[in-house]
Amino acid sequence: MSKLYIRKVAVLGAGVMGAQIAAHLANADVPVLLFDLPAKEGDPNGIAKKALDGLKKLKPAPFGHPSRMALVEPANYDQHLAKLGECDFVIEAIAEKFEWKEDLYKKIAPHVKPGTIIASNTSGLSINKLAQAMPETHRPNFCGIHFFNPPRYMALVEIIPCVTSDAAMLDNLETWLTSRVGKGIVRALDTPNFIANRVGVAYLLMVAHHTQRLGLTFDEVDALTGTKIGIPKSATFRLLDVVGMDTMGHVINTMKNGLPNDPWHAHYAVPEWAQQLIAQGALGQKSGRGVYYREGKVTKVLDLNLADYRDSKGEIAPEVDEILKIKDAGEKLKKLRASAHPQAQLLWSIQRDIFHYCAVHLGEIANSARDVDFAMRWGYGWSRGPFENWQAAGWKDVAAMVAEDIAAGKAMANVPLPDWVGKLDGVHGADGSWSVQQGKRLGRSTLPVYQRQLVPELLVGEKSAVAARQVWDNGSVKLWVRDDVDPDIAILSITTKMHAIGRDVLTGVLEAVAIAERDFKGLVLWQEAPFAVGANLKEVVEGIKGGDFEELEHFVAEFQRASLSLRYSQVATVAAVQGMALGGGCEFTMYAGARVVAFESYIGLVESGVGLIPAGGGCAHFAQRASELSKQVAFGEPFPFLQNVFMNIAQGKVSGSALDAKAMGFLEPADTIVFNPQELLYVAIRKAREMHEAGYAPPSHPKAIVAAGRTGIANCEMALVNMHVGNFISDHDYRVAKAAALALCGGDVETGTLVTEDWILAIERREFVALLKTPETQARIAHMMDTGKPLRN
Amino acid sequence: MSKIIQDAYIVAATRTPVAKRKGAFANVRPDDMLAHVLKHAVAAVPGLDAKEIGDVIVGCAMPEAEQGMNVARIGLLLAGLPDSVPAITVNRFCSSGVNAVAMAADRIRLGECDVAIGAGTESMTIMAQMMGNKLAANPAFYTDENRAIAFGMGITAENVAARWQVTREQQDAFAVESNRRALEAIAAGKFRDEITPYNVCEHLPDFASGNVKIRERLFENDEGPRPGTTMESLAKLRPVFAAKGSVTAGNASQMSDGAAAVLLMSEAALKRYNVKPLARFVSFAVAGVPPEIMGIGPIEAIPRACKLGGVTKEQMDWIELNEAFAAQSLAVIKDLDLDPAKVNPLGGAIALGHPLGATGAIRTATLVHAFQRDPKLKYGMVTMCIGTGMGAAGIFERV
Repeated sequence: MSKLYIRKVAVLGAGVMGAQIAAHLANADVPVLLFDLPAKEGDPNGIAKKALDGLKKLKPAPFGHPSRMALVEPANYDQHLAKLGECDFVIEAIAEKFEWKEDLYKKIAPHVKPGTIIASNTSGLSINKLAQAMPETHRPNFCGIHFFNPPRYMALVEIIPCVTSDAAMLDNLETWLTSRVGKGIVRALDTPNFIANRVGVAYLLMVAHHTQRLGLTFDEVDALTGTKIGIPKSATFRLLDVVGMDTMGHVINTMKNGLPNDPWHAHYAVPEWAQQLIAQGALGQKSGRGVYYREGKVTKVLDLNLADYRDSKGEIAPEVDEILKIKDAGEKLKKLRASAHPQAQLLWSIQRDIFHYCAVHLGEIANSARDVDFAMRWGYGWSRGPFENWQAAGWKDVAAMVAEDIAAGKAMANVPLPDWVGKLDGVHGADGSWSVQQGKRLGRSTLPVYQRQLVPELLVGEKSAVAARQVWDNGSVKLWVRDDVDPDIAILSITTKMHAIGRDVLTGVLEAVAIAERDFKGLVLWQEAPFAVGANLKEVVEGIKGGDFEELEHFVAEFQRASLSLRYSQVATVAAVQGMALGGGCEFTMYAGARVVAFESYIGLVESGVGLIPAGGGCAHFAQRASELSKQVAFGEPFPFLQNVFMNIAQGKVSGSALDAKAMGFLEPADTIVFNPQELLYVAIRKAREMHEAGYAPPSHPKAIVAAGRTGIANCEMALVNMHVGNFISDHDYRVAKAAALALCGGDVETGTLVTEDWILAIERREFVALLKTPETQARIAHMMDTGKPLRN
Repeated sequence: MSKIIQDAYIVAATRTPVAKRKGAFANVRPDDMLAHVLKHAVAAVPGLDAKEIGDVIVGCAMPEAEQGMNVARIGLLLAGLPDSVPAITVNRFCSSGVNAVAMAADRIRLGECDVAIGAGTESMTIMAQMMGNKLAANPAFYTDENRAIAFGMGITAENVAARWQVTREQQDAFAVESNRRALEAIAAGKFRDEITPYNVCEHLPDFASGNVKIRERLFENDEGPRPGTTMESLAKLRPVFAAKGSVTAGNASQMSDGAAAVLLMSEAALKRYNVKPLARFVSFAVAGVPPEIMGIGPIEAIPRACKLGGVTKEQMDWIELNEAFAAQSLAVIKDLDLDPAKVNPLGGAIALGHPLGATGAIRTATLVHAFQRDPKLKYGMVTMCIGTGMGAAGIFERV
């Protein structure tokens, strides 16, 4: 395969998608030219600039750190087309009008250098038809590339080849998008709305259809069709509000116009109530009202029976809820089908119809059932795709039930299940996933980039082929090895719920480090996201109840020993972080010998939320770091390097990305950021090996930390006094933050005093236990355990 | 009345336009700004023998870094004044500028010299933190008696708003009026005589040629006033200093950069150089108040200055009351029963900006030039509150 270097990308069209795609490429350190039409007045780049400005306020944030905005250069078609010659990749993301795209392609083609990949982010137009608008020389490098909104956060990118697409180009592009941009790629066939939106929109229409047929209300259907069935909490109608009724209307029309012979064609229509909302300008979130709107703190929902809005309730009937609690998927589906309750009938009907739909259309839209299921997982956030749900509930039983309903005229289309359905026990198996075109199960992609994904995401019916050799296990952590990657690097994984750190995790870490020092050349700390949500509060509460504060101090001391063991281990330790790394999870991260961090990592010392301070070495780490950094500055003092750290700890701030975590000091500048979390373990193992080969030796314990001392504490307190008198913080917030200041500044000693690591660790323990004894901190911990949210007291 | 042997007269007063923090003066040093106004104040008296200047007294509220090193002496040397002329930097925070003018007047009034300069310079672009370059609080602040030393100015304004019952609406209305007056004054060219435009030269990379390019721009007008400031636009701003407070970025003074210099002479010198004075220095006073309500400082300082000058506050035809915050300005106006029409007729610091240590000298220039436009004016005053709890007031008379 020829090498692909993408030095610069041009994104054509600074709309919602174009600008956000540009932002995410900038996150991945790729310079981007963001084109739009020249503004009629003022700065000719005004339109692209305005779009970029708009990204600053967008939630969730498109940029991992505001500084990345500098990588996106606004441009316009009048002045800057020549700059297309600098680009190795051009993404067209303008409005969905064929003629406009055709014009644009003609305009850009002469400026694009040979070999540059050109891709359209169209969500509906035919890629083959668009390819015809491209001069012949560019056609081998043309394809569709379909991002999902918001592109930074939705893993899915559909690549849609056209008949002229060069196979090597497609492989190169897939590799780049996977590894460099961190996306999950599905190759889709060139049919209207491709895979995810085809299935997703059909599904939404099915839910809308049965909602009305069964006389259910929007809020109760959203309660039924969200997290209860493995779909994000935006569920059905809330999702419509997020997407926008008008946008949804366009996508439905693409199917209505492009699929005249589809057995479901009659259902490709915007429901009448939605048409009325569109006519009223109630398009959803962007216009402040759609199916829902908010009135102060109250959510109002449209009720078709009242022809008006009312307070949203969204209650699930107890008998239906009971069925939903059943673990066995097959039994659950059968019970839903058997129940006469309209809520149960809805849940069965939508499953039946989407199974039916996917079975009939599989061969037309996708190369295999795997692509459909991954498209729905990555593009719509479903925990399982439709074929997985079917297979999990028992392939043959469900097929029989669906066939029975079709025969009885209950299904939404009068077309039988395809023959292949009856011949299989399931679409997914050890040998791959069913492909209608091939008439057999198709294995996974053999592209080398997937070799870097050591623990691939599995579908229902697939078996892990991971060659894991278990070394040690204490029920809360396990130590294992990937002999196929590096038999000398041990992998330590926390296995507790949410990877909370309790006593067994601490002893497990200490034991694992000891084993690694004895038998291995490096140790990687890795588990699936979240990395770790902090200390196990349940164990802390038990300690408080027993009133054994001495024991609690031992627990903290053990925590510190575990952190320190990672830093002072004789073999290299690497923290492989993804998702949340909070409290103790953040401290383990900071204390590891090196860090390999997924871009989507949310790192912070959040102890103040439960009325505590970082006491697993977090404060000592920053005190030492500030002392070191101050020595790099003429007449340097540690306090300036502690000022922001103090505020972050006092307010329990969490980074919005790995980039942000670097800016906040939770990561070191040299730490590796990995865009695809699936590659994290691979990179971490390689990193540990590299450190070993470079002759790894741990740092020595610092014995001369320059303390910010009394003036430093007074400086921190200055901020606290003002926030307190301004009623931004409570008495207890003040107390907690002051305790953190005390530890960060090395205690109530003269500024500039040299102190040791042990000295600061002792302050951490003392302050931690003192806070634990206060009723306010105890109330915060209890509240966090009950509600998962911090208590302000 | 203090014992003086002769009067001091203002013969020249000039200032730079006031720039927003990181605005037109983003790359202009406070010592250069000072040199600029010193040079032009001296040049306003043709034939003046600069060696006669007995002292150059310069106010600066954060005299460190670019405005450290006794910026007064640096500024006068950069201005090309004779080596023999001495200079001192003085600091009483926001009153430093008018305090410097008063100290220069005192030199003359005591008969120590016949010519002196009072000035002020401040760049809040380079010195944004209220504690200067190095935050270094004293642990002793955090006792019940001392805590207010640690209070930010915004908190003190909230305290004044609460105790003097100044509402958010009153503060916003005051801010709208300040902006309106300032914009009107600029449009009418009322600041033209007091401002010496500044030619800003900046060394910038010209990436196309690979050379450093010098960009020159003539900066002529105050850039603080915000057109389109309305009650509605201000109502959108959130309180900054207290969760349920009323002080916002819109009804507080702006952070700014600027400088001003005021040249004073004895009557003998006036005759010798045959110059017509702009004003007579009448009196100056400072007074302490509790630091947690520092904004009311003028309430104590104004009566003292009046008493020293043998005048009454009712005799003041023009009052430059520094708008640190609308809240404290309104409290002062209310308690002293000042005529709002006579307070800041050309707008105040909410619109025009507040380059801390320079403000007193800048507003002295505004006042003495107002005297030249309107012969009906007799007495005028420059007054302000001062961080950690003080007030200052200087009184001047049209001659």
